[in-house]
Amino acid sequence: MTMIYLDNAATTRPDSDAVREALYYLEDGFYNPSALYKESFAVHRALEAARKNIISQIADPQKFTLLFTSCGSEADNQALFSCARRGNFVTTEGEHAAIYNAALEIARRGVEVRYAKLDPYGCADEADLLQLVDENTSLVSVIHVGNETGAVNDIANIAKKVKAKNPRAYFHSDGVQAFGKIPFRLTNDIDFYSVSAHKIGGVRGAGALFRNKNKNLFPLIYGGGQEGGLRSGTENTFAIMQFAAATKKKFAALSEDLSRVGILNRRFRQGLDEKIFTVLSGECASPYILSVSAKGLRGEVLQHMIDDCGVVVGTGSACSSKNRYSRVILACGADERTADGVLRISFSSQTTEQECEEAIRVINDCGNRLAERTK
Amino acid sequence: MREQAEKVIIVRYCEIHLKGKNRGYFEQVFMNNLEKSLSGIRHEIRRPSGRYVIENFDSDRTEEICERVRKVFGVHTLSVGTKVDADLEAIWREIQNIAPESGSFKVETNRADKHFPLNSMQINAEIGGRLLSERPSLRVDVHDPDTILHIDIRENGSALVFEGIVKGAGGMPVGTAGKGMLLLSGGIDSPVAGYMIAKRGMKLECVHFHSYPYTNMQAREKVEELARILADYTGGLVLHVVSVTHIQEEIHKNCPAEMMITLLRRFMMRIAERLCADTGAQCIITGESLGQVASQTIEGMTSSNAVIKHVPVLRPLVGFDKTEIIERAREIGTFETSILPYEDCCTVFLPKHPLIRPKLEKIEVAEAALDVQGLLDEAFSSAEHIAIE
Repeated sequence: MTMIYLDNAATTRPDSDAVREALYYLEDGFYNPSALYKESFAVHRALEAARKNIISQIADPQKFTLLFTSCGSEADNQALFSCARRGNFVTTEGEHAAIYNAALEIARRGVEVRYAKLDPYGCADEADLLQLVDENTSLVSVIHVGNETGAVNDIANIAKKVKAKNPRAYFHSDGVQAFGKIPFRLTNDIDFYSVSAHKIGGVRGAGALFRNKNKNLFPLIYGGGQEGGLRSGTENTFAIMQFAAATKKKFAALSEDLSRVGILNRRFRQGLDEKIFTVLSGECASPYILSVSAKGLRGEVLQHMIDDCGVVVGTGSACSSKNRYSRVILACGADERTADGVLRISFSSQTTEQECEEAIRVINDCGNRLAERTK
Repeated sequence: MREQAEKVIIVRYCEIHLKGKNRGYFEQVFMNNLEKSLSGIRHEIRRPSGRYVIENFDSDRTEEICERVRKVFGVHTLSVGTKVDADLEAIWREIQNIAPESGSFKVETNRADKHFPLNSMQINAEIGGRLLSERPSLRVDVHDPDTILHIDIRENGSALVFEGIVKGAGGMPVGTAGKGMLLLSGGIDSPVAGYMIAKRGMKLECVHFHSYPYTNMQAREKVEELARILADYTGGLVLHVVSVTHIQEEIHKNCPAEMMITLLRRFMMRIAERLCADTGAQCIITGESLGQVASQTIEGMTSSNAVIKHVPVLRPLVGFDKTEIIERAREIGTFETSILPYEDCCTVFLPKHPLIRPKLEKIEVAEAALDVQGLLDEAFSSAEHIAIE
């Protein structure tokens, strides 16, 4: 039985073409790109080309640059610890744990943290967010696509309004679930933007923080001065080169994938048994993520049963599965029984219609069986 | 000439000296357990009169060896010392290395080699006198000294010099008191219960009940980790993992909700007893403590004991407070693992108001709605048996 993988918001299968393309940097081109001999210089050149290619997918390389990090969480942390050092930090209740838990830490260090409310689908309440911004706001961070419900925030618009209210405030967005999945370009009002390789067919170990060239950052890691001194540590050249190759491939097929995944998503919305499942994701959410709740059942138990039938889905956020209830789902206004029953179904460009039909059958069947067994 | 000073570890044992004719047996088991605890580390264990001496190891692994040996039941205390030639000057040089600069001290000598020119008292006086004249801030106190400097003159022309004594795990060598079947949940109590019984020399096997898919793989991994921690003390054990999912579902479907835990405990006991018969274990061990939770009342214990026919049920924590158990769990190193937040099978299908004083007759009537034998056979056929080294 081949496994049907529908937890692509947690991680995706590394794209094998991209792996093949980058393998050279693991085996033969292993040189430290900072060294001064020609072999190293060649690796350095390749890395810079990769950087430029990734930037140009969503931004103007004249205005934006990026620094490679080890993951999206690191990129989020660097933006936060770098920019939210005084006054207040405004964010939303729908952030990924990388922002949420880093915010708890900066609060301990004396920076006031303000959380904007969410609407029932997980989008940031824009009016609430804007009224939290004042002249003492040092940073605003709004997740682009929520990792639990797929809710899309119009960050270009929010950033513009934030800057209108306080031009000195920095604006950051976590774009980990958006990058390579929904069409978007960075605007001048956005200062920093985090992305991660492994959500789009990259391998783990590479992420990036886009930076508006007019805005400065502080390092999180000090050392040999790589990445313009902003992120020391010998570059993970294989992961970065593979990330670049996967990015190129993903963006080439972005709109085609988007409409195909949209069809799969709609199929799920129609096909899931209404007696058991309620869809939590809004109609305008990213089609790559579909959050549903089997109210009264426990999501994790259902996940195990579905897994045993050869289908892998997520429960809430993989990073927060140690907590009983999803913080973000509760912030959408769901009650505890709804939050307890959340399944997150997430697609990739590789997901097929046939897989979806089978998965819908399995999920409905398991939902009904569990309801029967625990009645 | 400067002789090679070699690190040694002196291990003293507990109650084995109380044993009469079996003493040889106890000592052999103890020796085997010591050897087992040090597998993978180069060493030699010798047994001069009344103690064990570990030698011939790399001195940078001294701490690791002490840590492992301390956990072997039967170890009363241990000391790290230095082996030197049985020569007064060599001993004196080593004493200078380990003696403090100030405070009170005494010298305590054991002389197994009676050919040594000075007797024990004379050695104490000689070494003590030299120290006093060399370190003016030191004073002698034979009753309650800050430091005791030990000198052990051995028969083979060497002497052990050491200071300081580390407490061992105590108890009796594992394997000298039969074998028991521990009900190991993921909680704080059961590992402590297992520890206490193993400490009295009993070999352990453990049985863990899970309710996958209602519980997850992490909960099971946690139990395996707890078993590994226990295995460090017991020199390995076998963990039996049994699914009670269907049993819980059937109870849920056919019996009053408030009887869930009482009935489930009876199934667990039956499975444990059957495992005893299969493995040669002679008793069941549980971590129950009187009144701690609803199922751990005397009535609860009565109703679960009622299904056991052939072996005793040992509940070493029955008179312990939770705080006392937690203290023990911290000491033996299971606490941190026990409090990981994964649910074990008892919290699934948890009734709002469990029976506190189940009446045996009523329980038996409710249970009659179930195919007890069929469910047991099914649970048994799903059992996995994992050897933990």
